[in-house]
Amino acid sequence: MVTNYKAEKASYYKVLLGLLVLTAITFVQPSMFLTHYTFGMQMLIGTVKAWIILMYYMHLKGEVLIGWTVIFAVFLVAFFFAIVMIDVNYFQFADVSHITSPAQ
Amino acid sequence: MSKSYFDETHCAFGHPKSTFMQWMLTIDHKRIGIMYAVVMFTFFFVAVAAALTMRFELFAPGQQFIEAQTFNQAFTLHGVIMVFLFIIPGIPAVFGNIVMPLMIGAKDVSFPRLNWFTFWLYILGCIIALSSLFNFSIADGSVVFNFADTGWTFYAPYSLNTDTNVVTTLVAAFILGMASILTGLNFLVTIHRLRAPGMDFFKMPLFVWGIYATAWIQLLATPVVGITLVLALLEKYFGIGIFDPSKGGDPVLFQHLFWIYSHPAVYLMILPAFGIMSEIIPAFSRREIFGYRTIALSSASIAGVGYLVWGHHLFTSGMSDMAKTIFSFLTFFVAIPTGIKFYDWIATMYKGKIVLDTPMLWALGTIITFAIGGLSGVTIAMIGSDIHLQDTYYTIAHFHYAMLGGVVFLFFAGIHYWFPLVFGKMYSEVQAKLAFVILFIGFNFLWFPMFIAGYLGMPRRYFDYLPEFQIYHQFSFWGAIIFVVGLVYMFYVLIQGIRNGKPTTPNPWNATTLEWHLPTTPPPLENHTKVPYVDFRPYEYHHGQPVVKFDENMKRID
Amino acid sequence: MAHDSHDSHEYVPEIAVDRDGNQHEVQGWQGDTYGGKLGFWLFMLTEVMMFGSMFMVLSYYFHLHPQDFLDASAGLNRVLGGTNTVVLLVSALTMGLGLLKMRNGDVKGAKLMIWATILLALVFLGVKAVEWTAEYHHGIFLGLDALQSGNEHSLPFGQILFFGMYFSMTGLHGVHIIIGIGLMLWLLKRINSGKVTPEHNILHFNIALYWDLVHLIWVFVFPYFYMIGAGDIAGGVIHGH
Ligand code: HEM
Ligand SMILES: [Cu+2]
Repeated sequence: MVTNYKAEKASYYKVLLGLLVLTAITFVQPSMFLTHYTFGMQMLIGTVKAWIILMYYMHLKGEVLIGWTVIFAVFLVAFFFAIVMIDVNYFQFADVSHITSPAQ
Repeated sequence: MSKSYFDETHCAFGHPKSTFMQWMLTIDHKRIGIMYAVVMFTFFFVAVAAALTMRFELFAPGQQFIEAQTFNQAFTLHGVIMVFLFIIPGIPAVFGNIVMPLMIGAKDVSFPRLNWFTFWLYILGCIIALSSLFNFSIADGSVVFNFADTGWTFYAPYSLNTDTNVVTTLVAAFILGMASILTGLNFLVTIHRLRAPGMDFFKMPLFVWGIYATAWIQLLATPVVGITLVLALLEKYFGIGIFDPSKGGDPVLFQHLFWIYSHPAVYLMILPAFGIMSEIIPAFSRREIFGYRTIALSSASIAGVGYLVWGHHLFTSGMSDMAKTIFSFLTFFVAIPTGIKFYDWIATMYKGKIVLDTPMLWALGTIITFAIGGLSGVTIAMIGSDIHLQDTYYTIAHFHYAMLGGVVFLFFAGIHYWFPLVFGKMYSEVQAKLAFVILFIGFNFLWFPMFIAGYLGMPRRYFDYLPEFQIYHQFSFWGAIIFVVGLVYMFYVLIQGIRNGKPTTPNPWNATTLEWHLPTTPPPLENHTKVPYVDFRPYEYHHGQPVVKFDENMKRID
Repeated sequence: MAHDSHDSHEYVPEIAVDRDGNQHEVQGWQGDTYGGKLGFWLFMLTEVMMFGSMFMVLSYYFHLHPQDFLDASAGLNRVLGGTNTVVLLVSALTMGLGLLKMRNGDVKGAKLMIWATILLALVFLGVKAVEWTAEYHHGIFLGLDALQSGNEHSLPFGQILFFGMYFSMTGLHGVHIIIGIGLMLWLLKRINSGKVTPEHNILHFNIALYWDLVHLIWVFVFPYFYMIGAGDIAGGVIHGH
């Protein structure tokens, strides 16, 4: 039990370190690299961080049933996203609507 | 006499002496289910009263009894109650609570105290929803109501601009949504954790499958509308802009978000109803259900695909052609698993020993009415015809056939089916059958003419109409009268049954699932005497007799 | 009379016997740790759906007004936002360590860690308050002219929508932080009254999960609002007029 405790504690700190490094990257990325893809890069880094939190802090690793439910929910949101974005992309009255193309 | 759950109970906290407080604090799933039923049907009658008011007003063109504005509030009241207070908690809140744990051999749901909390959250939501009914003023001798007039859909931007009291209605819908989420959550964990040993997913009764699929919708779709309502409130009071065209906000986005929930919500209503059908058909055909797996999996796939079709409510909102085509196709697709179920039910009856007791009559009647409701749904899933039929009485007739002639009818079927289990008594079969006949006839008179009126162009949510539609509205009016008479009679028969019905045995229908293997009726507080080991399929019949039998210690003796 | 269902610790599982006489333990609702965990995860999925939908709204308008969004984002205070990011990150650690200590019998250490988390949560809210106040003084707040349409101070559509969502989403996130503080205080009370112990720590486990979720949401909220427009300007200056 005790050795296990030490190991787990160590892993918590390691994860913290990893997350701090990623946060630092978040800060420097817009002015340092791939500056034309800031949005994509930021979301990518966010996803990596989220993955680490889920797996190590939230102990999702090894959870089969719960893991699948999470995947299902994330998939659903992604699908809603996709359809709504397709819709706004091809909005029927895009050229005449002041919502999609404001006059300013 | 052994004690039943009416005689003793577990409470959320404390040990109150008074019967009243024992009901208020009960965490017993059966009692909670009954309380839901009482509250829900009370509100159901309020909504029916609102509907009758509309039907009176629509008896002739022009103004009869109420103001145009009052009419708008009447259909909002009717829609809000029917949808949020009645049919969304619906079958899961009542029979999901009462029979689902019995069917899987559990002592209660996974979180009984949460269940108690959820019930009171629901009550809170109801109170808030109707609070603005009492916010009226009297001007020039007539009453001016302040109830919302937006329709139950709260479409922006009108809902953001109206002076009526939409805020309480929005808050209420949010709270009722939370209650629905918590119910679903509780049932999901219950079904995953508390099945009797040996009962794998494909040994569960089909009603449990229906509840399971429904619970996923409650859990994952409801938050979307919840947050939409919150955003609408923020919009109304802080002007965040997102649904307000004058700030660049897009009202169509509101429609997307609203229907992302509200379409799956109709499957949330119908799937448990289909579950009831799948219980009744084998029990009254005395035959093992045909295609058990296909029915179970079709529930799951209806729930799954049902998430992806919301756009058919936006065909006339300027959605892109691309999205329209996808949505139309996916909507047709949902009809396939639904059709499969219908064929399975009919195949079950084929060569069965059909017993026409009241629950079976309701089930058979629903096969007809829901077929009309479902198929008319396919006709408005076609983009072309929907342009013509959207927002007409055709659509209204469609969803009343599906909701009233499908969900509510099967709800009634379930009430008649599980009545002896819940109360240990039997209603008068003859009278109950008569009530069915009245309701069935009244229903079709009420709603069939509206298909025609809608097809000819009668728009929905209108207080007035052209003279040529009068004949349909009058048919409909008399249908409504017959229907309401039938309703009152049916409840009279049921209440008579509770008061002085004949005592029954634990399994009056010769049914097979676990809730009919209780030691006594009404069941004792903690259900089965012992938890059985389940190594059999749920609907095993041999020569018209149930195969699986238990002794009083739940040991198999067949 | 009903037996006390609070005494779930003494619950003895029932045994079901199959036809061959084999015994099978029955899972009751009492003392079902995995059930408690599953239930809480399902609850968290509802949060995922809620915030997911809000991100969808956000992306919808980002798609319509990309430049306005970048401009508005450039005006947010990255120093304060970044500070909060680090604060939350550390609080996730303290929360996790607290649970670890609890599981290993160190109740006192666990309580200390929970207090540390509460403290960090308060720091987060404090920073947030400073930030919103500064924005208010720069004329950017819900209800002020800049975020209304059709007056001389009005920002372009895209910026109004950006700030509308910014206040809504960070606000709702803040509400989650406050709820989290409440939950942690409740947890401390349960620990003190011996209802949460090293053996029965499901409540602690779930509240730790909740806190991670609050952190997780911030992991996306932060870059989406503060960082996407960080390209040209080196942070810190609110768009004024
Ligand atoms: C007693 C039987 C019922 C009658 C006589 C009835 C009658 C009506 C009438 C006259 C309308 C207004 C149509 C319009 O002007 O657009 C309406 C709308 C509606 N009904 Fe019913 N109805 C009944 C039962 C139900 C049930 C069981 C449901 C359950 C879901 C339901 C749900 C709705 C909804 C959602 C609307 C739309 C409200 C709106 O436009 O916002 N109704 N009904
Ligand atoms: Cu739909």
